[in-house]
Amino acid sequence: MRYEEWNKISRIASRKSLWMLHFCTGCGAVELPPVMTSRYDMERFGMGPMATPRQADVLLITGYLTVKTLKRVVNVYEQMQSPKYVISFGSCPINGGMYWDSYNTVKRLDRYLPVDVYVGGCMPRPEGVMNAFLELMKLIDEGKARGWEKYQKYYEQYKRNQKMAFGFERGKNEGD
Amino acid sequence: MVDFLIKIAVIALYTTIAMLVGILFMGIGRKIVARVHNRVGPPVYQGFIDIAKLLTKKTNISHGWIYDLALLFSLTGIILTILFLPIGGVKLLGTEGDAFLVLYLLAIPALGFALGAGASGNPNAAIGVMRALVMMLSYELPFVITMIALMIYYDTSSIAQIVELQRARWAIMIPPFMLAAAVADMALQGMLMEAPFDIPTAPHEIASGPMAEFGGKHLGSLMLYKAGTIVAYTTLFVDLFLGGGVVMHDGSILSYIVNFAVWFLLILLIFTLSLLINASFPRFRIEQAFKFYWKYEALLAFISLIWVYLMVIS
Amino acid sequence: MLELIFTALLVASFVTLFVKNGRVAAVISLIASLLPVAAIIDWGNEFGLKIFSFGLEKSMDFSIAGITMHFSVTALAWFFGVMIFFLIPPIMLFSYSFFEKNRGFFPFMLFLITAVFGILLASDFLTLFFFWELMAASSFILVYMGRDRKAIISYLSFSVLSAVLILTGIALIYSQNGTLLFSNVAFSADEVTVSAIILMIAGFAVKSALMPLHAWAPFVYSKADEPFVAFLSGGLSKMGYYGMFLMLFALPGAKILQQYFDSTVATYILALIGAISAFIGTLLAFMEDDLRKLLAYSSIAQLGYIAVGFGIGSSLAITGALFQAFNHAFFKSVLFLAAGAVAYRTGKWKISELGGVAYKMPFTFMAALFSIFALAAIPITSGFAAKWLLYEAAVSNKYIFITPIMLIASVGAFLYSFRILYGVFLGENRHDDIKEAPLPMVAGMFLLVMPLIIFLIFPGYMLDMMHSALVNAGIGTVSHTNYVISTGMASYNTIAVVVGMMIAMIPAFLIYVLRKHRNIDFKDNFLAGEPYEIYGHISMHAANNFYKPIEDVLMPYLRKGATSFYMALYNAMGRVSKTVRRIYTGLSQDYAIYVAVFLLIIMGWLIW
Repeated sequence: MRYEEWNKISRIASRKSLWMLHFCTGCGAVELPPVMTSRYDMERFGMGPMATPRQADVLLITGYLTVKTLKRVVNVYEQMQSPKYVISFGSCPINGGMYWDSYNTVKRLDRYLPVDVYVGGCMPRPEGVMNAFLELMKLIDEGKARGWEKYQKYYEQYKRNQKMAFGFERGKNEGD
Repeated sequence: MVDFLIKIAVIALYTTIAMLVGILFMGIGRKIVARVHNRVGPPVYQGFIDIAKLLTKKTNISHGWIYDLALLFSLTGIILTILFLPIGGVKLLGTEGDAFLVLYLLAIPALGFALGAGASGNPNAAIGVMRALVMMLSYELPFVITMIALMIYYDTSSIAQIVELQRARWAIMIPPFMLAAAVADMALQGMLMEAPFDIPTAPHEIASGPMAEFGGKHLGSLMLYKAGTIVAYTTLFVDLFLGGGVVMHDGSILSYIVNFAVWFLLILLIFTLSLLINASFPRFRIEQAFKFYWKYEALLAFISLIWVYLMVIS
Repeated sequence: MLELIFTALLVASFVTLFVKNGRVAAVISLIASLLPVAAIIDWGNEFGLKIFSFGLEKSMDFSIAGITMHFSVTALAWFFGVMIFFLIPPIMLFSYSFFEKNRGFFPFMLFLITAVFGILLASDFLTLFFFWELMAASSFILVYMGRDRKAIISYLSFSVLSAVLILTGIALIYSQNGTLLFSNVAFSADEVTVSAIILMIAGFAVKSALMPLHAWAPFVYSKADEPFVAFLSGGLSKMGYYGMFLMLFALPGAKILQQYFDSTVATYILALIGAISAFIGTLLAFMEDDLRKLLAYSSIAQLGYIAVGFGIGSSLAITGALFQAFNHAFFKSVLFLAAGAVAYRTGKWKISELGGVAYKMPFTFMAALFSIFALAAIPITSGFAAKWLLYEAAVSNKYIFITPIMLIASVGAFLYSFRILYGVFLGENRHDDIKEAPLPMVAGMFLLVMPLIIFLIFPGYMLDMMHSALVNAGIGTVSHTNYVISTGMASYNTIAVVVGMMIAMIPAFLIYVLRKHRNIDFKDNFLAGEPYEIYGHISMHAANNFYKPIEDVLMPYLRKGATSFYMALYNAMGRVSKTVRRIYTGLSQDYAIYVAVFLLIIMGWLIW
């Protein structure tokens, strides 16, 4: 069944009830508490933090990713149940940000995971984060947030990229 | 035959409404907690959206047939429990069983849930179930003592009968049962897994415990189960202490509506009370909760039981 | 014809003694164990189980060496016979696969069955005691085959204690009445009779592992062969309650006790002991790591409920107690057999070492699951009806201490049930190389589960079966139809529960069917993003010290238990014996000195 054929109720439901899993590796996580609490209160839109990837719909990559972390992120992303979305925080996942010349940091998250919404800035302010959430909701409503389908379609390619990042020879032992 | 069909229809209607009320209460609950936190909070119909989303998830994973028992047992068990609870004075199947049956029927969904959590193989899930079972052992002691007090006073163990006998005055207006109701309300806090007794599903400690591996339709059915438990436990409390919310006895259509409305308000009141405690307390450790229930709560419950016993034999 | 059954059983026992092959011995034992079953079915025509009849006599006198043994079947013996003898063929079926070689299980088991048959048929105290001792002796040999010093010593010493208590009681009754026939004994409310009743009840309580006299059970249950333990817990423990029922209600001991103490204090103490057994047994059970010890403590707990029923003594309570005895016979046998089946495949007993067996042994798991439903009194099996009757009885008699203890003990049963379910059957998949248990084992377990499901839907049949036993003992019966039990306080409609459950299952079933799912491996599990392969060497099975938090709270209160008292006694006896043994030095000079000193003392005494 294709995404377009999904009935509208399902789309509204998933838009109005985005449960998120925040992968707090980078500094972006500190922007989330104000978004959750009484100042910005994202629960207005039915969003809320969840404990495990099985329950969550949105994966928040809050900042830079090292190669070692990327392995976990991919693992977590694959454990989430579709439809699932990815929001990346800050400039690091876009182009490396201030780690642009680091040997150990993933420069472009897009090569490894399908990202639906980027929030620019170093760091993005809570307004920006809220804006990103609203943007994601809009995209879901319009049927444009199709990152998870892209991941399924170009799975081989993503896997190849991931393997390249982990390193072929050291792939097995790395991260232990 | 017609009477029988009408009875079936009434039972189906009341059970459906009870489940819907439960889902509504989950939204109301989040709204109330949000207001205590000085937030706006989600819309009151948020529960419906959440469940609709979970049930329409595109992929669902399962860890084998024992894991699926969680889905089947938890929802079945809670609906079955609601069938045996009088709602707003309407007995449903209340005359076919009694309070002990309800206590044990409530164990069916819990055991099914525990089976699924165990089958998922996640260590967090096992720890969560352990906490849930220890909590069960803790809060059941004061709760069953208060229930026995009621049974001895009214000389029946049938909930429908207890509701019937509270026509003249509700149990909570009798002095020993004021104490018992206070104890049972704290036990209710544990049953509903609200803070300070949200130990089994503590999301920050054990990754939401038993639910760690649940997603999609399995989590959706568990949320339906959660909705059901809210109604089942609060209704059990209202039936036992607040006369089941029955205020009109003439059997007209109007009396059904009024009784239903009163029942709704009463369970909302009980649920709100529990949520206000939830919003303002941190979490106990498991052994603190155990000691709380078995030391202070059980003692108070026992005082009320002895009080009732002395009232009855004199 | 009745002699024929005894003889056939003894001959079968003798024959299997010389059969080396376990399979052949099992088949012989299976056929032999069907004889008492046939007898029970035949007698059933009178007592409420009408299947077929071949006209077996009901009583028999048998004289040997000037002593006459009186046998006759009563309604009570028949009911206990149903619950005990129907256990044995499935257990023998299980043993067919369990024992490769005949190591002595089969002959002594058949001997044990003969003894039990004799106890149930005995209609005078001497015959009862004779067969009681045969039972103790043959079961002792079966325990001895476990080759565990603690188990052997504890079983032997408690069996002797039981025998001494019962024999003293019989002697006192004989001194009062001058007869030993049940039908001629007339109790009167005097000190001798009352002490005889109490002594005999204590003697029977040893066999049924009631709380202060339970100390042998955990050791024995955890060391002997599983099929025997299944019968020991399921069947033999009921013999203690048979004796208790005989003393309290068939020969109306309860009335005598009530007359003598002028109140129900004696029976109340029995009920309280039962409730405390249920409570403490449960607490000890969920802290145990050895599967068989866990089941042993759970047996102590579940058997405690029967004592509560006998102690309360109303018709509701006794009905509930007998129902509970029947259920316990079956579900606990299944649990021990399932433990045996798991150990047969994995060779492990410790719960923390097992895990994930359910996927490889699904039928064993199903049987164990159903018996756990019965154990935890969940209304999917007949286990609930029994406990419900007991609760109703306790509440309607306004027993404000016993009822909460019973209820909380039953909640505690969920804790150790989950310990078995998770620790052994679910959780991390650790056993890839095992198979389902052999067919005879599975068949045996499922045969034992059947009654639990039949009497869920029709508890009325069970109440019909115990009807004449209760009426003969002068106890009223509970009003019931086939599927509704009504007491003064409430009624329980099993059809409403079963049909309601089927209807309530519709929404869940729809969700289950309409939304497709995909099965994934255990390894694809949420471990905070870590891949399982990295932690493959670390146990993902949270089964060590499972109930640690509650153990920390409760253990300080439980440490000074009865078992440690008996251990202290045992050690003290050992020290005393050692001191006394120093006299026997083995040197002839010393013995000469003893003789000289002895003679000197004698002489001195004579002179003085």
